[in-house]
Amino acid sequence: MTDLLKIFELALWTGIAGVGFGILFNIPRKAILTVFILGFGVGLIKSVLLKMGLNIIIVSFIAALFVGIFSMPLAHKIHQPPVVFSIPAVIPMIPGYFAYKTVLATMNFTFMEAATEKRLELIDTIFTNGFTMLFILISLTLGISLPLLLLRKSTIKKLDK
Amino acid sequence: MDTQEKLEEIANLLLEISSLLMVSGANTNRANVSIDRFASVLGCKADRMISHKNIVMTLIDKKTGKSYTKVQSIPPYAINFAIISAISRASWYAIDRRWTFNHIEKEIAKIKSKNRYPRLLVLFAVSLAGAGFCNIFGGDYINMAVAMVSTFTGLFVLQEAHKKNFNVYFRVVLASFIASIIAALGVVFEIGESPDVALATSILFLVPGVPLINSFTDFLDNYVLNGTVRFAIGLMTVLAIALGLFGAILIFQLQ
Repeated sequence: MTDLLKIFELALWTGIAGVGFGILFNIPRKAILTVFILGFGVGLIKSVLLKMGLNIIIVSFIAALFVGIFSMPLAHKIHQPPVVFSIPAVIPMIPGYFAYKTVLATMNFTFMEAATEKRLELIDTIFTNGFTMLFILISLTLGISLPLLLLRKSTIKKLDK
Repeated sequence: MDTQEKLEEIANLLLEISSLLMVSGANTNRANVSIDRFASVLGCKADRMISHKNIVMTLIDKKTGKSYTKVQSIPPYAINFAIISAISRASWYAIDRRWTFNHIEKEIAKIKSKNRYPRLLVLFAVSLAGAGFCNIFGGDYINMAVAMVSTFTGLFVLQEAHKKNFNVYFRVVLASFIASIIAALGVVFEIGESPDVALATSILFLVPGVPLINSFTDFLDNYVLNGTVRFAIGLMTVLAIALGLFGAILIFQLQ
């Protein structure tokens, strides 16, 4: 029960983070609720899949794909282009903690640590966190733009009229 | 009216629309599609080159075959999704309802004059987002409060630096430095259960999510030049964030 509550709370905060960034990007007022719902879904998917033991990169891709796919019918429904709410909704998945770990390890490696064994450990930390960060970023962008790119023909059709 | 004059007016309008879109954070494809839509409504064909800082456009009148070429520079970027949304909707309506030139011009002027969210609301919303990030990465409520305060201060510094017209990346370094100093105090005094999470999430409001996502979308659309430019900008911003964080970590000697 507490686990469920925790997941729910995390999803709630993911939605709030999405809306916060949406307001920073000045999204239209109508899109705010949509961003919150998408962010909430992202939080749910992410925490459930992580509990199942999937890799964070794959989880991020699946959650971003969820946003990319669902933002299209929503876009038609509230008459907004999908980017308006797909970008704020995936921002909470930005791998900030991995970036921080990478920077911290790089700092220690360059300025502080002298012992060879510790330095090897730091190299491991830099590469593991750095590449996790990079791949999460790539999977986020791919996840939200792939559905749009694949189905774009239907919106361009109007042009030839 | 003289065709040449009319062409000039249409070109100015189309250039304004596309530079508005680019500034607001649309990807290159969207700017291109919007130009095509509006040009087709106005009975013209537009060939153009959109780069990150300039747009070159040649407008050809479909009836007379006369052409007009103009180069326009794009003002500094400021993400504004409301403008993208409004222009995109205007382009649908323009095609469906056969809008005239004057109608489109009026609509664009209306879209341009729309206000942003009030500054205080933005500050609070982004601070809440910072607290949310902290929760996502496993911070407790005290850590979340620390992240919230440092995000608030950092964003405030960023906005003030923006008003004073500092260099873009210098602004980011400054905001990142101030935000991480405040969060690092939490680490030094061991406030909350995992203060390092608060430090890691206090600078996330600076992350260049829009340029990075747009960069990959542009790459996928084969706008390699624009994609590269956006990626470079995203990278520079990330480096600037890291530099600010570096400073705070060095001052407090965090391990």
